[in-house]
Amino acid sequence: MWDQVGQALRLSMTKMLSQLASLLPGIVALLTALVISVAFAWALAAILRRSLKRFDFDRRVAHWGFPAMAEWSPASSPTLLLTRAIAWIIVFMGFLIGISAFDGALPSQFVIRLFAYLPDLMTAIVVFVAGSIVARFLARSVLIGAVNMNLQYARLLSVGVKWLVTVLAVTIALERLGIGGGIIRLAFGILFGGIVLALALAVGLGSKELVSRSLERETSKASGSNVKEPVGHL
Amino acid sequence: MELDAIAQPELEQIERIGGADLVIGILGHARSEAEGTAVALTGEALAELSRPLRAMVVCHNGTHSSAPVAREAGDQSPAVFSCSLPPPAPGETAQHGISNAYRTVFAVGGKLGVRACCVIASGSQNATPGRIHRLVQPVLDLGFDLVAPCYARQKMEGLLNRSVLAPLHGALYGQRLQNPMGPDFGLSGKLLQRLLAQASVRRRGVERSLLASIASAAACDGFQVCESQLGVRQQNPTDWDNLSSLLAEILGAAFLEMEGRAAHWQSIRGSQTLPRLGQPEVPSPENPTPVDVKGMLQSFRLGAQNLQDVWGLILPPTSLLELRRLSRLTDDQFRLPDQLWVRIIYDFALAHRLQTISRDHLLRSLTPLYLGWIASYALEMQAAGLTEVDSRIGLLSKAYEDNKSYLVSRWRWPDRFNP
Repeated sequence: MWDQVGQALRLSMTKMLSQLASLLPGIVALLTALVISVAFAWALAAILRRSLKRFDFDRRVAHWGFPAMAEWSPASSPTLLLTRAIAWIIVFMGFLIGISAFDGALPSQFVIRLFAYLPDLMTAIVVFVAGSIVARFLARSVLIGAVNMNLQYARLLSVGVKWLVTVLAVTIALERLGIGGGIIRLAFGILFGGIVLALALAVGLGSKELVSRSLERETSKASGSNVKEPVGHL
Repeated sequence: MELDAIAQPELEQIERIGGADLVIGILGHARSEAEGTAVALTGEALAELSRPLRAMVVCHNGTHSSAPVAREAGDQSPAVFSCSLPPPAPGETAQHGISNAYRTVFAVGGKLGVRACCVIASGSQNATPGRIHRLVQPVLDLGFDLVAPCYARQKMEGLLNRSVLAPLHGALYGQRLQNPMGPDFGLSGKLLQRLLAQASVRRRGVERSLLASIASAAACDGFQVCESQLGVRQQNPTDWDNLSSLLAEILGAAFLEMEGRAAHWQSIRGSQTLPRLGQPEVPSPENPTPVDVKGMLQSFRLGAQNLQDVWGLILPPTSLLELRRLSRLTDDQFRLPDQLWVRIIYDFALAHRLQTISRDHLLRSLTPLYLGWIASYALEMQAAGLTEVDSRIGLLSKAYEDNKSYLVSRWRWPDRFNP
């Protein structure tokens, strides 16, 4: 009986050790992939950081209309934010390559699904970035135009337009990522409607001034059509 | 160059004429009798000259007459031919339309190999035989290459010229002109050929306004320049709703020209007064309508309150602080110092070159500041006469010249030099 027990123990130990041994190449491959990706990420980040500093990226980002990006960034530097983000993406990719070296069905499927998701992720990022740029451009146009029209609600109008476009871009990006589904659509409808209502009120209140000024001008023209404008620019 | 704008029969007529002494452009609103009137005006103007001349009149009446007007009356009378330009394209701005018409007039002049060219672009109501004569005679008889206009103005007229264009031109190119962007000019054939050559080179690069190039090209290339007293200029009433478009168009052209000639103006110091020909006309009595300073100050304060983010990308912190301080002053105390105004203009010109933000946004965001300058000027000059106004503008011109080193430093090292 003791022989049988000993044999069973030996068998289970051999089985466990052989299973462990079969995992070892995978673990070594994972570690190797991680080490290589970390080294590659570090080198690429260093090159990118140097190039962006030479390009004066931090100042240009503020000039392109994204001064808030410095606030979110480590050490208030968008260059650091970008280089670190790229470095972590490379490390993550290395990790995924390492996991697939195990050749297990579950990690492989996970990797395949993740890679299939990447185009949607890229599209969502592009939509979000383009939306932010358009939102800032339109907000600035509206702000300058409204100030030149002497509207007291210029900033409100500008912020409204900016959020309108940003909300639209975020909704499209989330829809593309397949996050939220119906809730996102509902939230978008409520937010969009709210902003449009706020803008309508702002435009309504602002145009009251415009209409009264325009009427005043018309009245003064009608009452004194021979009165010459006292100011000439050219 | 821009001869495509002229109809085929008229092009054939130009070919047949072969050569002329003078080309005259009369640009303005379309009027059915404009072409005939222009020919008559030109005939009268040329009759005052010492010798008979052959002249071509390019008129902006928009009717392509298949049988062009040609008049040859006797040996000793001037021969005047004419051709017409099409009406301005819909949506084309006034300045752009004038610039395009100038191109066509120059192209006709180049084709005919003229000795002199005169363009009246300030409206057909300003085209008189006397005015044509005063623009042409210094070129033909006195040997000048450019005759710039000098108008009789009230103190609240020509404000963009007084505040920016004239002093900026003086500081940059070293020549004091009342109206560096005309729009009425007399030019020699030599200068016309030079402008045509420069325009054809530029066709491959950025399109610059021809109107903004005339005075700067004459100054930079060493042509003889003078001013001629043209009397009162009739103008359309100010369109306050489109003031920002006007600023964007005029200053955009001036800044683009400034950028194109940066290598030249950086070495110029000081400025000189140019010969002013003719007797100055006394402007009509002062307009009794008061200027709405309150509204202008309100626009300035609204800008100072809302456009800090935009101005922050263009102006240095010291200017921003100063503007914020000004926005808190009462109406009576409000004065925009010359040095601050000059630096604002220089900083906007630099930001225009660097394209810090969209150029249209940049130029339009200057509107509240310009209104602030007008308000300050109107308050300061409330009780002043025309002589005092001239000395006040002289001080502003001096401030432009004194601060030129600031512009040159920022232009050369925009990042390093930012006080």
